[in-house]
Amino acid sequence: MISRLAWIATLVTGLFMVAQYFIKTDATNAVYTTLLDYYQIIFAVSMIVGGIGLLKQHSLKVQRSSQQRRYSLITIAAILFMVIAAVIFGTGAASPYQWAFNNLQAPMQATTFSLLAFFVASAAYRGFRVKSAPAFVLALAAVIVLVGKSGFGEMVSQQLPAIAGWVLNNPSTAAKRGILIGVGIGSVATALRVILGIERSYR
Amino acid sequence: MSKLLSTFSARHLVFLAVLLAATVPLLLNIRLTHTASDETKRFYANINSLPSGSVVLISFDFEASAFAEIKPLADAVLRHCFRQNLRIIGLSLFAEGTALGEQTLSRIAIEKGKTYGIDYVYLGFRPQYTSAILAIGESLPKEFPTDYFGAATAAMPVLSGVINYDQIATVISITDGGMPTYWVDYAVTRYHARLQTVLTATMATSLYPYVSSGQIQGLIAGLKGAAEYELLLNEAGGGGRGLLAQSVSQIAILAIIIVGNVVGYLGRRRKWQ
Repeated sequence: MISRLAWIATLVTGLFMVAQYFIKTDATNAVYTTLLDYYQIIFAVSMIVGGIGLLKQHSLKVQRSSQQRRYSLITIAAILFMVIAAVIFGTGAASPYQWAFNNLQAPMQATTFSLLAFFVASAAYRGFRVKSAPAFVLALAAVIVLVGKSGFGEMVSQQLPAIAGWVLNNPSTAAKRGILIGVGIGSVATALRVILGIERSYR
Repeated sequence: MSKLLSTFSARHLVFLAVLLAATVPLLLNIRLTHTASDETKRFYANINSLPSGSVVLISFDFEASAFAEIKPLADAVLRHCFRQNLRIIGLSLFAEGTALGEQTLSRIAIEKGKTYGIDYVYLGFRPQYTSAILAIGESLPKEFPTDYFGAATAAMPVLSGVINYDQIATVISITDGGMPTYWVDYAVTRYHARLQTVLTATMATSLYPYVSSGQIQGLIAGLKGAAEYELLLNEAGGGGRGLLAQSVSQIAILAIIIVGNVVGYLGRRRKWQ
């Protein structure tokens, strides 16, 4: 019964959202903007649910005496600190919340992201081996774009940046556009399956 | 010494090469000579063509992890907008970009002597980006009755006459991900908003189809884009400083690919023999 109600809600909402794109009246606009508000409210509430779920999961890990419990303790402490600091002192420029964001979270994220350069280089060393004609074309395109789009491109040749631009704007864009069209058709098919109740992940 | 060297694998040497390539150029005060690409010139011309007092909506759609690359780009574009006396509406559709966006906008506004509420405003974060983008198309004042600091937006001169995308001369998404595709899907397609994007170099390739179709009217990417924009602005910034480090790192990766191929070829030849 609940599953059928969920499907009816999905069907009605889905059909309405399609219809209101073409039929613009004050009434449809009012319902549409209310639905947008609800969408944001549901998303905001889901973030709270996610936070509670994360706390629960790490609390269980702490209770089990595993070697990783210290990491779970740090996670719990960090979540609680940010929430309590924001509630008590606010999120202004001089608040502890902002201090923790600027001096802990941002540098840690930047550090983790920076490691990507090392892994990319390591993967390029092992994986970019020219063993066949397609691999050669791939490597050639990579070299042209890498050098052409670097600051040294113009020093090597005045034409190299333009050639790199051609590679990006033509073969690369053509391939990407094909993928995008496929994704678009797939999205429409999935949306129809959900609206018509064929795809019921909420069951 | 030989024992120490034997502990180094090829992987360690690759890591060491990247570390040196990325850090040593930062210590040298060398600026590469270069010219601006056509795409950077187009972005610059788009901003230049806007009359004084036009409204620009800048969305800070990035996370802290990409801030080192995004910051010079954001700084350059904001400097240009303020120099043109454009009214700037800042917001963020990423929770993490909210504080960084506010800091960046305020810093450049102070540098250019602009007044909050008159020349610029920061509206803060809205969850669920698709519905936020759509809601701005219906009514920006309804979506943002208060700004990031909790002040009522209704009486702010910077927002005077701004109802939806029709009054916004251009939307600029400053991003490290695929957020411009959502702006295209929901703001450009439905509300005919004029969109430009400023993004990390790795994400640029995936957005070229939207640039060639005209759905994204301007795009600048990476530290090279920032350096080119600074060149057009004739103002020094982080792009020019970082360009050498990024370029040397790119050449280092190229060298690593060549060495990898030589090593692979020699290994294969040894097997055949």
